[in-house]
Amino acid sequence: MVSKQEIRQLGKLSKLELTDQEIERYQSQIEEIIAYFDILDSISLNELEPIHLIKNFSELRKDCQELFEGNALKNVKYRKDDYIKGPRLA
Amino acid sequence: MTNLCGLTTKQVTLGIKNRDFSAEEYICQILDRIEKIDVKINAFITVDKKGALQKAQLIDRKIHNREQNIGPLAGVAVGIKDNINTNGLNTTCASKMLKDYVSPYDATTVKRLRESDAIVVGKLNLDEFAMGSTTEFSNNGPTHNPWNIDYVAGGSSGGSAASVAALECAVSLGSDTGGSIRCPASFCSVVGLKPTYGSVSRYGLISYANSLEQIGPIGKTVSDVAMVMNAIAGKDDNDYTTLEWVPKYTLHPTKKNIRVGLVKQLVEGADQAISKCIYNAMDLFSKLDFECEEISMNSIRYSLPSYYTIAMAEASSNLARYDNIRYGFDLNPDGYEWNTYFSKVRSNFGQEVKRRIIIGSYVLSAGYYGKYYLKAQMLRSLLKRELKSFFKQYDILIAPTMPVLPFKIGEKIDDPLKMYLIDIDTVIANLSGIPAMSIPAGFHNDLPIGLQIMANELQEQTILDAAMLFEKASNIQRSPDL
Repeated sequence: MVSKQEIRQLGKLSKLELTDQEIERYQSQIEEIIAYFDILDSISLNELEPIHLIKNFSELRKDCQELFEGNALKNVKYRKDDYIKGPRLA
Repeated sequence: MTNLCGLTTKQVTLGIKNRDFSAEEYICQILDRIEKIDVKINAFITVDKKGALQKAQLIDRKIHNREQNIGPLAGVAVGIKDNINTNGLNTTCASKMLKDYVSPYDATTVKRLRESDAIVVGKLNLDEFAMGSTTEFSNNGPTHNPWNIDYVAGGSSGGSAASVAALECAVSLGSDTGGSIRCPASFCSVVGLKPTYGSVSRYGLISYANSLEQIGPIGKTVSDVAMVMNAIAGKDDNDYTTLEWVPKYTLHPTKKNIRVGLVKQLVEGADQAISKCIYNAMDLFSKLDFECEEISMNSIRYSLPSYYTIAMAEASSNLARYDNIRYGFDLNPDGYEWNTYFSKVRSNFGQEVKRRIIIGSYVLSAGYYGKYYLKAQMLRSLLKRELKSFFKQYDILIAPTMPVLPFKIGEKIDDPLKMYLIDIDTVIANLSGIPAMSIPAGFHNDLPIGLQIMANELQEQTILDAAMLFEKASNIQRSPDL
């Protein structure tokens, strides 16, 4: 059972502005989908381990500054002096 | 002048190298065809006429000057799914959120195609952020199936498959998270390969579900796909999940006596016309002296919920980055409070993307994590173990690519669960990381049916061998009238 309240809360946590109509529609759809996922709970845990990455973390590149080829700030629309402009933190 | 649009990758490269026609002549015909045909198909989001012509002229100059450094894909027209970065071109993911986004760099696959002298003609339509199975969830409208324009082209790489089927490009790149290359390849009667996880770099692919997705080629023939794989596969320092070593692929089938396992549950679960077609394919393999048997796979009943749990969980995390500050659409942050601004811009995600973010957040939330996400990851171990034992006995596993025929645009769009269920045959390869291909297997009521061929990790050559022999013996490949 997935409640409208849960959908509203998840929307809030995911920073999605959901209309009442959307919440109404999503609630019945998501409830049906989650009910379908419930079959997963019947998998026996015996002898099973969740999948792991095959690679070792030693293969990661050195944690140091590297130059990005290309203009990473090409798509910034609002700037002030040498900074990127964002909304105000309350 | 002869029509060059229908040529295969091999024919294009040979024709240009032998000076039967120039790269410019070829690319002009392709661009004309896109202009004429794409109003019906809607495969392209962006066409790079100028860039394509410049590259064609550059190749012609190289040929004229008898230069040695002519790439193996010289002149071949490629289309790129619009969730793969292409320097200087828009990469929109078919989303309102990235409508104005211009890629500041090339994805590794695109870079490698360009280095092979392929010509990027444009960017192809998809379901928003690759989330869908029909290309109907695109901010640019649905892509139409070239075999019947009232029907869906499949998805999410609908533009990639439809453009190849409609002869608007020779080959294309798609991405496959749960079947997104193979589904539209099946619906449009072209060849599509999802490679082994880690064999092709994902650097520059806009993330949806990192542990499942792979970039792969779509072409008219098996050899088209093999030639693109030779250009794009291999280790990449920018994607640490790429494998140390990836083989080169040959266009001449070497292997004989391939052992085939037909996955019974998937054939029985498909529409009758499709099952019949897949059994016919098995008969054809038998005639080719392949050893064929039916097998039963126990973990199948868990695979689809497991796939959607993991995909949505990863999506909810990946899509958290869209805050519209460094890129996005035009909304001045002046006067907005942080949270209000975020919620406002993020409401521009489409309905399917929002739905997946919410479900993803749900299955990851405290109290539900163990019930869904953890179990889904365990299923992957179970599935891998089962596949490992199958691949001791069989070289390839075959099944339908899709359990249903292409359906009418709009038919399933309001029923998300029904839409998810059609991915049942394809998600196995993504959950386990194995390679899988869809190849044309026949038609029913003039609508295409695809055969899916799966093999063990890094055994793409076995798939290619079987597919090339099947392609030759079945003689199905043709193009739609448009």
